[in-house]
Amino acid sequence: MAKRAKKTRQKQKITLKQIIKQKELILISIPFVIYGIIFYYVPLAGWVMAFQNYKPKYGLWESPFVGLQKFERLFSDPNFIKVIRNTLCMGIINLVLSFFFSILFAILLNEVRIRSAKKFVQTVSYLPHFLSWIIVTGIVHDVLSLENGIINQVLVALHILEKPINWFAYPKYFWWIVGFSNVWKETGWGSIIYLSAITSISPDLYEAAAMDGAGRLRKIWHITLPGIKPTIFILLLINIGNVLNAGFEVQYLLGNGLVQSVSQTIDIYVLKWGISQGDYSLGTAAGIFKSLVSIILIWLANSAAKAAGEERMF
Amino acid sequence: MKRRTLSLTMALTMAASMGLSVMPAAAEEQEVKEFTAFHAVPGTEINDDNVCQDAIAALIGAKCKDTWLTGQTAEEAVGMIIASEEYPDFMTASTGHSMMMDAGAYIAIDEYWDNYPNIKNYLSESEWNKVRAEDGHIYIIPQFGIINGHDTSTVHNDEAFWIQTRVLKWAGYPDIVTLEDYFNVIEEYIEANPTMEDGTPNIGYTILCEDWRYFCLENAPFFLDGYPNDGCVIIDPETLEVIDYNTTETAKEYFAKLNEEFHKGIVDPESFTQTYDQYIAKLSTGRVLGMCDQHWDFQTGEEAIKQQGLDDCTYVPLGLVIEEGIEEHYHSASALDVSNGLGITIGCDDVEGALQFVNDLLSQEVQTLRFWGIEGVDYEVDENGLFYRTEEQRANATSTEYKVANRCDYSYFPQYEGMNLDGINAWSPDYQPTEFYESLSEDVKECLAAYGAETYVEMLNPSEENQPWFPMWSFSNNMTTETPGGMAWTNMAEVKHEYLPKVCMAEDFEAAWEEYLGVYNDRCDIEAFLGEIEEELHRRIAVASGETAE
Repeated sequence: MAKRAKKTRQKQKITLKQIIKQKELILISIPFVIYGIIFYYVPLAGWVMAFQNYKPKYGLWESPFVGLQKFERLFSDPNFIKVIRNTLCMGIINLVLSFFFSILFAILLNEVRIRSAKKFVQTVSYLPHFLSWIIVTGIVHDVLSLENGIINQVLVALHILEKPINWFAYPKYFWWIVGFSNVWKETGWGSIIYLSAITSISPDLYEAAAMDGAGRLRKIWHITLPGIKPTIFILLLINIGNVLNAGFEVQYLLGNGLVQSVSQTIDIYVLKWGISQGDYSLGTAAGIFKSLVSIILIWLANSAAKAAGEERMF
Repeated sequence: MKRRTLSLTMALTMAASMGLSVMPAAAEEQEVKEFTAFHAVPGTEINDDNVCQDAIAALIGAKCKDTWLTGQTAEEAVGMIIASEEYPDFMTASTGHSMMMDAGAYIAIDEYWDNYPNIKNYLSESEWNKVRAEDGHIYIIPQFGIINGHDTSTVHNDEAFWIQTRVLKWAGYPDIVTLEDYFNVIEEYIEANPTMEDGTPNIGYTILCEDWRYFCLENAPFFLDGYPNDGCVIIDPETLEVIDYNTTETAKEYFAKLNEEFHKGIVDPESFTQTYDQYIAKLSTGRVLGMCDQHWDFQTGEEAIKQQGLDDCTYVPLGLVIEEGIEEHYHSASALDVSNGLGITIGCDDVEGALQFVNDLLSQEVQTLRFWGIEGVDYEVDENGLFYRTEEQRANATSTEYKVANRCDYSYFPQYEGMNLDGINAWSPDYQPTEFYESLSEDVKECLAAYGAETYVEMLNPSEENQPWFPMWSFSNNMTTETPGGMAWTNMAEVKHEYLPKVCMAEDFEAAWEEYLGVYNDRCDIEAFLGEIEEELHRRIAVASGETAE
């Protein structure tokens, strides 16, 4: 259905008559456009800092220009390369895990027949979304604690581990700790949108399938999943643009010296060099790089969706 | 043009006269001026209706809301403030000081101070000269190390290897001189007493490594070699050679010892991954037998121990060295730290009022309110004018809950240490010898007596006169990545953060140590760093000997 609507939209040309006809709508949208210009586009002027050796004392107007020097510094820093790797990897792990678990959870929840139980589970599961990361990381620290963390206790009791592991001391675990912390916090919330997509699937389809002898799993595979496919694609597209926003608080709060080579993300790098060391220009340069990569990623994903004839953003 | 100047002058005169006529009226209404301050150090925010704060405000007509670092480093917090340009009225930038200067964010105090004698006379002319920035102005007021009368230190507030009195008592108060002795006692104690009375397992030795507080792990080598806390390097007082303490033989021995104890289970396995909060929570239970730390860094933990009545679980300092024969220098005399202090920012609308506030805080009456509290409530006075406290008042003074509601010491505003301006009492109860000794628990008294000491400070060697360059950390704290030496300093911290814990945990110490040295020498331009320190060293010596730096 969505596809059809789009096709007609593409064929139409915008005429003056149409604009007049929709003037209320346009008027309503004006405040948002202004908001967008002020808060999203005007600040971009600050990007000029990346090409200066910015000093707060002199401000934007009088700081000396240094061309691409800050970018050169950025890309000759082996740490920055590591930081890009960490951000990308954690971003992808987060993306895959959160998609998989949200969809799985939505489908499972949809199969629950008792309405009250379903509501209850749903509410409980999305509450962690409203906790701030500082609290969640506190919980994660406790759960994984060496001495009386529940994970270590369970694994030792099941004889999977011989003795408790200090999970935060080994770089190899770090990305997964971040990934699953995200799953714990966001799965319930993320599944809401899939649940609502599932509700809009016509019950006729399920009845027809039942008459043809399809069981639960068959129905999920042939009706539920294709039914929410457009939603999945659109969310995937939006989230791919967000891959580089792999996080800041989580890594900042869970990291420590031993794992710093895998825990630092671009945002932490910006904080460390841009803010802590007072090199605002270098921080801005790193920020610009991040934005450019995000735009490229979105464009790539969108083109891929277009080529595959799937739902897309533009 | 002339006309415009004239009208401008008139307008200004008018505004000024209006201002003048308005001011006394405002004073009559007794409106309390409220200032804001941010100190880039950890601290505890007090309640808005704090009793002492209101008492001070009633006296001087002004108060100040102090805020502190929370979960950030000083540089991050200061960098944020500069970037947002939302300055509080007062700031202590700590290690972010050079950023504040760089941003031109402080107001030159010396342009105003003729009206504020308490500020101007707070330091001597020559001391103020040390505080002067390159442009000749004074932007900050140092808060610490300004002694009125004589120093009455009883508490060692700085770094040492700390040990619980119960361990020393059990071992019969042995002489503990070397790192080896220290761990031997802890090992023996833990073998005999694996748990506390309530069954909680004892932890032999824990190490805090979180972020900037990782000095608990990394800077012991220069103390073990018998040098004072220059913070960033060792300076040989005879040859004036600047030595990097990170790679000395002593450093290697120290980390080898930590590695050995880690594998024996004496060093807390969570050492390298715990956060500051977890560390304080752990200490508060009283299960940690020893650690290396600055006293102010774990003070809240120790207060919690006292509150629970675990009197035998509080700590005394030990001045350990790597081998016998070396003389330790853990306790230093108060040194004027000119690299840091309280400044008034360009965000302050009422500079005169702010200076008046600081000026008033330095008066005898307010000093007493700040550090002793309210007479009859927080302390009593005997017939000779000597202050003392009752049991209850002492208990209150260690209760965080009581302090945030009732006490306000404005601890990061200028203050006189040593003697109270009345010339009779010490500046604060902890420094009043009679009061201090009375407030000690029996366990601590017994322990101190066993070592022939009456105060914590006497557990260590008496401080010697500070060298003219001391402390060198006031220079390294302000290095920036714009110089090769500053870049090296940042990289050193980065490498040490990652590799020192690895070295301590490694199965094969030798290999891990080699790896650390490899990365350290590869990533950090040590020569550039030491070179810049040496330059500063000679500059300071020249300033001290009267030659001008220019």
